[in-house]
Amino acid sequence: MSLFTRTRSFLRNLFASRRVEAEIEAEVRSHLEMLVDENLRTGMAPEEARRAARIELGGIEQVKEQVRQQRLGQWLHSVISDIRFGARQLRKNPGTTAIMVFTLALAIGATTAIFSVVYGVLLRPLPYAEPDRIMAIFEINSGGTWSRLADPNFNDFRTQSHSFQAVAKYADMTASVSGASQPTRTTVAAVSPEFLRVFRVHPVIGRDFSAEDARKGAAPVILVSHGYWRQFLGSAQDLSEAHLKIDNAVFSVVGVLPAGFQFPPDVGLWLPADLDGENASRTSHNYSAVGRLRDGVTVEEAGRDISAIARRIHDTSSEQSDYLLKDGAVVPLQDSVTGKARPPLLILLGAVGFLLLVACANVANLLLAQASVRERELAVRSALGATRRRLIRQFLTEAFLLSLVGGGFGVLGATMGTGGLLGLAPEDLPRLDSVSINVPVLLFALLLSTAVAAGLGAFTAARATSGDPSRGLGEGGRGQAGSQSSQRVGRLIVAAQIAITLVLLVGAGLLGRSLMKVLEVNPGFRVDEIVTMDVSLPWMSDPKAKTGQAIFFANLIDRLKQLPGARRVGATSGLPMDGGLPDGMFLLMTQDEVPATPEGFAPLLQQKERIGNADFCVATDGFFQALAIPLIRGRLFDERDSADSPHVAVISESLARQRWPGQDPIGHTLEFGNMDGDLRLLTVVGIVGDIHEYGLDAPPRPTVYVSLFQRPRSAITVTILSNADTRLVTSEARRILQELDPEIPARFRTFSHIYSASLGSRRFHLILIGFFGIAALLLATAGVFGVMAYSVSRRTREIGVRVALGAGSREVLGMILGQGLRTVFVGIAIGLAGALALTRAVESLLFGVTATDPLTFAGVVLLLVAAALLACFIPARRATRVDPMVALRCE
Amino acid sequence: MPSEPTTLLQGTLDLLILKSLATGERHGLGISRRVQQITRGTFVVKPGSLFPALHRMEEEGWISSFWGESENNRRAKYYRLTSAGRKQFEVKARRWGRISLAIAQALETS
Repeated sequence: MSLFTRTRSFLRNLFASRRVEAEIEAEVRSHLEMLVDENLRTGMAPEEARRAARIELGGIEQVKEQVRQQRLGQWLHSVISDIRFGARQLRKNPGTTAIMVFTLALAIGATTAIFSVVYGVLLRPLPYAEPDRIMAIFEINSGGTWSRLADPNFNDFRTQSHSFQAVAKYADMTASVSGASQPTRTTVAAVSPEFLRVFRVHPVIGRDFSAEDARKGAAPVILVSHGYWRQFLGSAQDLSEAHLKIDNAVFSVVGVLPAGFQFPPDVGLWLPADLDGENASRTSHNYSAVGRLRDGVTVEEAGRDISAIARRIHDTSSEQSDYLLKDGAVVPLQDSVTGKARPPLLILLGAVGFLLLVACANVANLLLAQASVRERELAVRSALGATRRRLIRQFLTEAFLLSLVGGGFGVLGATMGTGGLLGLAPEDLPRLDSVSINVPVLLFALLLSTAVAAGLGAFTAARATSGDPSRGLGEGGRGQAGSQSSQRVGRLIVAAQIAITLVLLVGAGLLGRSLMKVLEVNPGFRVDEIVTMDVSLPWMSDPKAKTGQAIFFANLIDRLKQLPGARRVGATSGLPMDGGLPDGMFLLMTQDEVPATPEGFAPLLQQKERIGNADFCVATDGFFQALAIPLIRGRLFDERDSADSPHVAVISESLARQRWPGQDPIGHTLEFGNMDGDLRLLTVVGIVGDIHEYGLDAPPRPTVYVSLFQRPRSAITVTILSNADTRLVTSEARRILQELDPEIPARFRTFSHIYSASLGSRRFHLILIGFFGIAALLLATAGVFGVMAYSVSRRTREIGVRVALGAGSREVLGMILGQGLRTVFVGIAIGLAGALALTRAVESLLFGVTATDPLTFAGVVLLLVAAALLACFIPARRATRVDPMVALRCE
Repeated sequence: MPSEPTTLLQGTLDLLILKSLATGERHGLGISRRVQQITRGTFVVKPGSLFPALHRMEEEGWISSFWGESENNRRAKYYRLTSAGRKQFEVKARRWGRISLAIAQALETS
């Protein structure tokens, strides 16, 4: 019954508010009239009776307001009226409102966009069952380097640890796959039998691997990804006819994995790792490993478990060397996939957070200026019975309106901007496909807008309602007195803006200078007009078959020389800036010193003067010529260097300097058999220039080049230097390859694309932080301008008096500029301290400059002062034009 | 507006209003004067406290209202107790009796 009454009252208050209002108005008025009647009866004069009645009533509006506050649902009702009033207030100053909404939209949008990347890459759980239980397992060697696992170590981890329900190893490679609708170059992963159990993934069609599949003599089987199945197997439900040919072996497709399962990244096919053909060495790190934790086991416990096994192996192994593991580690797979991307992304998030602060500061200042204009309105409202709480809520409501509208536009912008952001993102950023504007990102945007609103609203409300309402009325709304402290707050805000902007600009400046320094580095090769072509032939171990492949490549290169515009054609096992080369230890020795048995090498490996360390690259002479890698001494490979003649090597300049200081390395011989199993000595015949194989910001590595025709391999990248149109070169080269062997696919890229991708993350960070910095600079400049313009308009009278007393325009200008610059300098001082403390965070992203680079700091300070001067100058000049007569009269 | 007396008298005010309506329907000023009269002038209920309380109690369903003619032929809003209000009055009166007795006893104890 009571509930019914209450509900009825609530609904009536909400929907029949006009009638309720009219009724209370009538009631209070009749009350007043009855009071007057009462007073008249006591013999008062009519005027006096009315006055006394009014005093007793205490004001019709106040009484009405007090009744309203008592009403059921008045909270909702007043929120709605607050919103109505707030919207009207915002519409009244469309210019200011537009600026505030735009500023908030920019900042919230940028923050949301960056967060969408952070969320997609770092936070979004991997798309597997209980992804936080999947771990990556590593070896740690004596140098502290984390590496993949050697087979015997993996087996020990798997059999001896008690922390995992399933452990699997995997290795991926690119292979030429034929037998499907067309030959492809596809990433193929060799995995041990428990692999899918680790991910709790089951084939949607067909079956998982069994333990027998991994044994020698088993029929070759393969699993395909959903994408590969759809694209190249025609989504066939019946797999009995599906066979794929890789490396001359025919695999039966036994299963299709669910859509969305793609681990390792970009993989299309999975085949069983050859468990019988394992490498017995504990220092050949060929496989990555993953495991799923047993229920109740923590990451730390698993880590201690693996670590103990690793140390046991270390203590008992006969293979004591730098490459032997010393320890083991277990990290969540997600961290291991995204580990390297984490610091720069967090820096970007921090930077955009700074932009957000600067933007909020601008909006806060605008609101503050508006609030001081509204002092009279506030005074009237509180005189009419509005409580302070009610006024604060009004400000909060307005801030919420602003932030939500701004946030809405921001999310809209972020939705469109995320696409561009992803286009800009470096190719090596993991998990980019999981970046989108999704529910958690939207939730973030909503929370962010709410936080911004709460902050802005609380701030303006606290500032605006601290005064005494009677003063606002008494002063006729000029608000001169209250504005003094609000101007001080405004200047403080501007100083903070300048400080934050300085930090952002210094960050952007340091990144910019780093990029410039990187671009100054001579890579050691040419970049333009080169088309690259990746070709993989089936892997062969038989030396004769390998020689046959070398002849195939020689043929291919010869034919490609006929391409339109082709000037130089070569081949290499590893393009610069495209993933790197294998490295290892070589031995300096002459033919007489070669031991008769493999065991004889062990004592030689102990002799420090014999050992060298270098990257190992298989190449042809045309590779050096196409990339214009200069020959410094000696010669490149040529016709003399056939498979049967003595094997030769070309070495890089830095290796010559390092290993043969003060000597001529040409004619020396070395053994580098651990790279390709060929123990024949290599005679150094030439020295070529260093190249920045691992990117411009990494020092060149000492490198040993061997001839493709003496040390054949099955996968190469052909480099074609041609000034003809890239598309023409590509299509012609594809045709030539198809004529030689229609089953071999090729991948074409331009070298300039590869080169530019190597600078991708640097460019990405610079563009984003630069954008944030410039946006912050514009906002801060606007902030300075706003505060100064406001200050000048408030000081018109004072300036008028000064001018009347004889101050010249120069003095006035100096006074205003001085006032503005004082604020700016306070901001700069705080900003410098902040920048010195914070730029250490970007140290890892810098190249060739220190985090405290004086040039960058000085440049940024100059830029800020110049921008601030400009922003102060316009209001200052307006101040010089104050006509003392007008100024004095208008007040 | 001074809100102190209202909060101080929150419970009391309701009780006094209910009591003044127990003897028949009244309009706002009538209630105000009646309270003044039965408390011998101790409590003067100002409209700023009276009307919010009336509206709240009406929403609670303790009293109901209707428009009628005042003694001077003015249109006035009259209030009367509902049966829920009568019950409420008894509950409140009993509670007040206990409280005032307790406080009186407490003050007498030395």
